[in-house]
Amino acid sequence: MNKRNIQHLYSRAGFGILPHELGSRENWSRDKVVEHLFAVTRNVTPLRIDLSEIINLEVPEGEKRGRTFIKKGRDLLKDYNRAWIDRLMDPSSGIHEKMILFWANVFVAKDKNIIHTQQYNNTLRKYALGDFREFVKAVSKAPTMMKYLNTNRNVKKSPNENFARELLELFTLGVGNYTEKDIKEAARAFTGWSFKEGSFHLNQRRHDSGKKEFLGKSGNFDGDDIIDIILDQRQCARFICSKIYRYFVNPDIDEERLEELTHIFYGDYDIGKLMQYLFKTDWFYNSKNIGVKIKSPIELLAGINRVVPLQFKKENQIVFIQKMMGQHLLHPPNVAGWKGDRYWIDTNTLMFRLNLPAMLLNNAILELVEKGGFKDSFAEFYDDKKKKGRTLDVHKSWDIFERNYGHLGFQEFVDTLIPASVETKALEGLLKKEDKKTDCIRLMSLPEYQLC
Amino acid sequence: MMNRREFIKQSGLASSLYFVPQFLKACEKFNADTENYRKLVVIQLSGGNDGLNTVIPFRNDIYYKRRPGIAIPKETVLKATDELGFHGSLAPLKQLYDQGYLSIINGVGYPNPNRSHFRSSDIWHTASDSKEYLDSGWLGRYINAFGEKPYAGIELDDSLSLIMKGDGINGVAVRNPQTLYRNTRKPYFDAVLKNKSDAHLNEHNLGYLYKTMIEAKSSAKYIYETSKTFQSALTYPDGPFAAQLKTTAQFINSGLGTKVYYVSMGGFDTHSGQNAKQSKLLGIYADAIKVFIKDLDQNGSFKDTLVLTFSEFGRRVKQNAGQGTDHGTANNIFLMGKNLREPGFYNNLPNLSDLDNNGDLRHTVDFREVYATILDKWLQTDDRTILRKDFGKLHFI
Repeated sequence: MNKRNIQHLYSRAGFGILPHELGSRENWSRDKVVEHLFAVTRNVTPLRIDLSEIINLEVPEGEKRGRTFIKKGRDLLKDYNRAWIDRLMDPSSGIHEKMILFWANVFVAKDKNIIHTQQYNNTLRKYALGDFREFVKAVSKAPTMMKYLNTNRNVKKSPNENFARELLELFTLGVGNYTEKDIKEAARAFTGWSFKEGSFHLNQRRHDSGKKEFLGKSGNFDGDDIIDIILDQRQCARFICSKIYRYFVNPDIDEERLEELTHIFYGDYDIGKLMQYLFKTDWFYNSKNIGVKIKSPIELLAGINRVVPLQFKKENQIVFIQKMMGQHLLHPPNVAGWKGDRYWIDTNTLMFRLNLPAMLLNNAILELVEKGGFKDSFAEFYDDKKKKGRTLDVHKSWDIFERNYGHLGFQEFVDTLIPASVETKALEGLLKKEDKKTDCIRLMSLPEYQLC
Repeated sequence: MMNRREFIKQSGLASSLYFVPQFLKACEKFNADTENYRKLVVIQLSGGNDGLNTVIPFRNDIYYKRRPGIAIPKETVLKATDELGFHGSLAPLKQLYDQGYLSIINGVGYPNPNRSHFRSSDIWHTASDSKEYLDSGWLGRYINAFGEKPYAGIELDDSLSLIMKGDGINGVAVRNPQTLYRNTRKPYFDAVLKNKSDAHLNEHNLGYLYKTMIEAKSSAKYIYETSKTFQSALTYPDGPFAAQLKTTAQFINSGLGTKVYYVSMGGFDTHSGQNAKQSKLLGIYADAIKVFIKDLDQNGSFKDTLVLTFSEFGRRVKQNAGQGTDHGTANNIFLMGKNLREPGFYNNLPNLSDLDNNGDLRHTVDFREVYATILDKWLQTDDRTILRKDFGKLHFI
């Protein structure tokens, strides 16, 4: 497999590849490289932080339990966000973490409850490369999802259609592939769904066990039956594959390729198999698919970190960076998730992204303040302390950078950092060629580095 | 109705600006026409301002009955009509009201109201239905359709809100023009842009990034250099909100080619201890507005500027146990300008005895009717293009 293709694979299926890994795979076949990629992430490690503080919550005299719970929960949610970022930035993170980011933006849900949030995130982890059918069912029964889309308020007497609608529109089939009647009937099947102590619980009295007509079938369906009927539709496989294509291959869909992926996915709905197939095709490595995707803010950050390992000293600064670039993990904008690609870019986010390498690696100051929140007081909303020019308090492991990149020749170094081909003319006078650290920051500050 | 060509002519955004190679040059001069076109300033009271304690129905028994701990006592209300009056902190607004520069529309909301800050704010920003998710804001789409340059819309902040995001072209966030300028003015970025060939600008996403970068740079320069030609002679109150308005006035008075502005002021989520908090906040709002309007008026810009203030929702009629209020629905909005057709109260307060199942007000005016009216009658553009639907028009302007 040639270097350019290995790099392309690792930038899409992960967050980049180090020069020595790149070198060692050059003599491998494509099948071997792809299989290795999946083999190293076979073991799923849940992402957990210490929640004992909130599980054994002691409420100070005179304070309400709910309020203390929410306050503590908010801090722990920040810790969990950090833990997720740390996991993403771990040098061993690869296809599995990438898939989790992908699914978190398909099965979008948001929750203030840290216990349920952690549970939900670990559900994404468990199924990210597994059985899509089981995945949909597990996500539908997760407290975070049930709260976010009101499944737990969906009762026989007055069905709430929120979950049924989004299940069809955003999670499985896409607009135009079902009727309003289908939504109503599906909503009935999910009535009585609830949870107790974090586990799914069916409230029989609130469940409508009557006959439903859904997507041309009729029976006394429950929620799981509805999901099975949805997955019987080829459109469901096609819909998910179109998301996969846009995320992993190219923002512009090639109908023929999409059809090919749908054919693989439909039936057993094996996500791992689909992804392996995709990365083994010739067309995935077609030059029209290389370096054409705009990195998400998290991909950008994780990519920089892959080259120069970083350690944030201040949790608030991790939040700051995510907010300024418009991707704050655990805080999706709405149930449709982040739109991605060009939607990451506006005047302000682009300038922030172009300045980010200098901020992270060269103590550059950008006097910018993140937006206040809806629940902030006036003082918090405008927090004066944040306004002062500040550098990011980050430890940079330049020694590791030296070890990995120090021996590379100039052109090789450029090619390793920038997958999109850069015109040599464009680099004239921009780089120093002797000082690799400076060149590294400069290459990462090119618009080309925004692409993968 | 004006077509796009006329709009461009009127707004001074000559079409030669759009071709990238000439862009840097073209942006350095600005067209004097921009001084006289109409501008819109949108202010969001973020967190959900309690409208019932802002404009108070001081003769309404239900109001006092539902809010025994937080109702505003009749004697402190700045009475405007026999039924309604302003919160004591809003004396400057009362003055604008007396001058005929203020319209208040009551009961503004939308069907199936959402009580989440995030969601309801998005609905107001995108002008969507309650169950519809749009990726662009109504001001962003306006810039897209009729302004074409990022600086056609400015948000007074460091990052851009949904309201200013268009489909392809977005507004620009500027808290401090100097900071924005400095961040784009790095010698390295100049060198990067200098090396670019035109071929690069045609490439798909890469071209988009380069174009955005060029626009960012020239917009920042244009905004900085234009705005510094004007310094306000007035003293604004201290504090960040007044500073945002001061910068807005500076932009407008310097003749910047910007059509729409967005400012948000936070702190209105008053679930507990509401009265002290809200009283302070309304004071900050009104005191800054007072100087802002004066600043525009003294410099001849008020006649060309319409100021809209909204909040993502109002609050529940019944107070809660914490001497505060929870998230509600319909709310009043303020419009300030010199060309109001119906200054004062545009309509009555929604009926306090006919609430929805949550105990919230039922809206009587759809907020998109307000937008449609502003787009059609003030900004003189095709509101259906921007709102993607046909909404009835009001007659406040």
